[in-house]
Amino acid sequence: MAFQELIKLGEYVWEVPQDAALRMRVPGRIFLSEVLMKYLERGAIQQVANVATLPGIQKWSLAMPDVHTGYGFPIGGVAAFDASEGVLSPGGVGFDINCGTRLLVTTLFKEEIEPRIDELITTLFEAIPSGLGSKGPLRLSEKELNDVFFGGAKWAVNQGYGNPVDLKHCESNGCLDGADPAKVSPLAKKRGKPQLGSLGSGNHFLEIQCVDRVFDKKAADLFGLKEQQVCIMLHSGSRGAGHQICTDYVRMFQAASRKYSIALPDKQLACVPADSQEARDYFSAMAAAANYAWTNRQIMSFWVRDVLEQKFNTTATLVYDVAHNIAKLEKHTIDEGRKEVYVHRKGATRAFDKDASYGIEQPVLIPGSMGTASYVLHGTKKAMSTTFGSTCHGAGRVLSRKAARRSLTWKGVTEGLQRKHIAIKTDDLSSVPEEAPEAYKPIDEVINVVSKLGISEAVARLTPMGVIKG
Amino acid sequence: MQKYEFLEHTADVTFKAYGRDSNELFENAAEPLESTMVLLDEVALGDTCTMEIGSDSYENLLYNWQAELLITFEIERFAVKKCFVRIVGLSLTADRMGERLEPNRHRLNAEVKAGTYHNLAVTKNDIYHADLTMDV
Repeated sequence: MAFQELIKLGEYVWEVPQDAALRMRVPGRIFLSEVLMKYLERGAIQQVANVATLPGIQKWSLAMPDVHTGYGFPIGGVAAFDASEGVLSPGGVGFDINCGTRLLVTTLFKEEIEPRIDELITTLFEAIPSGLGSKGPLRLSEKELNDVFFGGAKWAVNQGYGNPVDLKHCESNGCLDGADPAKVSPLAKKRGKPQLGSLGSGNHFLEIQCVDRVFDKKAADLFGLKEQQVCIMLHSGSRGAGHQICTDYVRMFQAASRKYSIALPDKQLACVPADSQEARDYFSAMAAAANYAWTNRQIMSFWVRDVLEQKFNTTATLVYDVAHNIAKLEKHTIDEGRKEVYVHRKGATRAFDKDASYGIEQPVLIPGSMGTASYVLHGTKKAMSTTFGSTCHGAGRVLSRKAARRSLTWKGVTEGLQRKHIAIKTDDLSSVPEEAPEAYKPIDEVINVVSKLGISEAVARLTPMGVIKG
Repeated sequence: MQKYEFLEHTADVTFKAYGRDSNELFENAAEPLESTMVLLDEVALGDTCTMEIGSDSYENLLYNWQAELLITFEIERFAVKKCFVRIVGLSLTADRMGERLEPNRHRLNAEVKAGTYHNLAVTKNDIYHADLTMDV
């Protein structure tokens, strides 16, 4: 599948034409501006086409403006599969199940934090385990771990890690129904058990941010965001538990795909009929990992609040928590009828036009790369009709980790952050270049495209003051 | 013969491994995974741990081999510097030499979340080749 085969349907919409020779069941759609087009990789187009071959796919195989080559699905990929005639694919969710972002807003303003930013970032760094092989301080019993898998953020709140109102401000109230720890392998439990309450490494982070600009005052007021106000953003997922659950089910589904005679253009797309026992088992395990991730972010929020209380005698309110690696059973209007579908979002964020959390559209949290802005947006009706209620999830990589390490130095990148008065803490300085702004697409352009497309609308822009790089 | 080579991948780590026979292929596929996670120069050949796995194809065996190495690293905190693999049919036995990780002595590189099936293939012409992608 080559670039010249893409058809421009609109200013920001490119079609990957349905190619019968590739067994595509639907066309692909990639949302890009001319600026972002130069970053599009051939491999990502191929992966959009590959997803379009899976049984029961509805309307289009989609790619958000932060798209880049992944494995199986592209990162930034969205696909909806008929709940009875379609499939469930663990590769369409990814290894870091319910990797997501969470935003807390403090009562503090930029000028209050600025003189004490080093102190705050250092205290947070000490309070929240992060980095390679990071483990949490909790020592869970087998039963408690199962309760985490069942209960998600609600378990954490019941244990005292937060307030009941936090749950209202999480996607799916921080708990996906249908989780079953019996469908989680002993190995996944063993990997997940010591890691609850840890940030992880790679692109996972905690940032101290400040509301730099408000675009939509009404929504910002409801979300509790004012200009110059200080926020904390967390980006983390389900750690080893999610990684192993995906590993286990992708392995199992190799044989299962053959059993159900599903032809795969890429083995990582292994999938099973959505109404099969195998799919029910995977969904139960995936939901358990999703609940682990919500618990993980809830516990880390508790430690953030603890630091704020100790150091500044204040607290923070949860604005929202949203997943960007997940499969959800949702109802969407497709060809003028309502249909139940499994929406796979792999590096894509839910962006519904309605949400119970604030009684308006759903908040959407989009982190930028290290040292650049992040955005709070909200979902739209347009997203419901064109992207199964989905939008981008971040800036999207352009440089491989290897290339980033080759072309940038940790010293250069940290000096760049210092020039912008951004404090950084990490236990792995050598990996800093991998998350540098140069390794990612420009976040402002990604947000411009989703706004122009109308699949989400900007509420506020947040700029970093301090970062803990996992 | 080159043991392995890393290739460019935007988000993850991809490499090709080579071997004159399947045993050597699997042995050579271990090092790029281990070296992605830890600086192997600092790992001594102090201990040996053995393992046995089986599967229904070379590809699945390779996926399982990667998964086992990853588990050994993450759960047992044991880094493998060298290994001897014996494959009979589709059963693999391995002696893995290395040592337990010590935070003050070993420098970690990256957290590998999992091996993947993306483009996973074992082929043979004059020698064995394998393409592997890891999610980091």
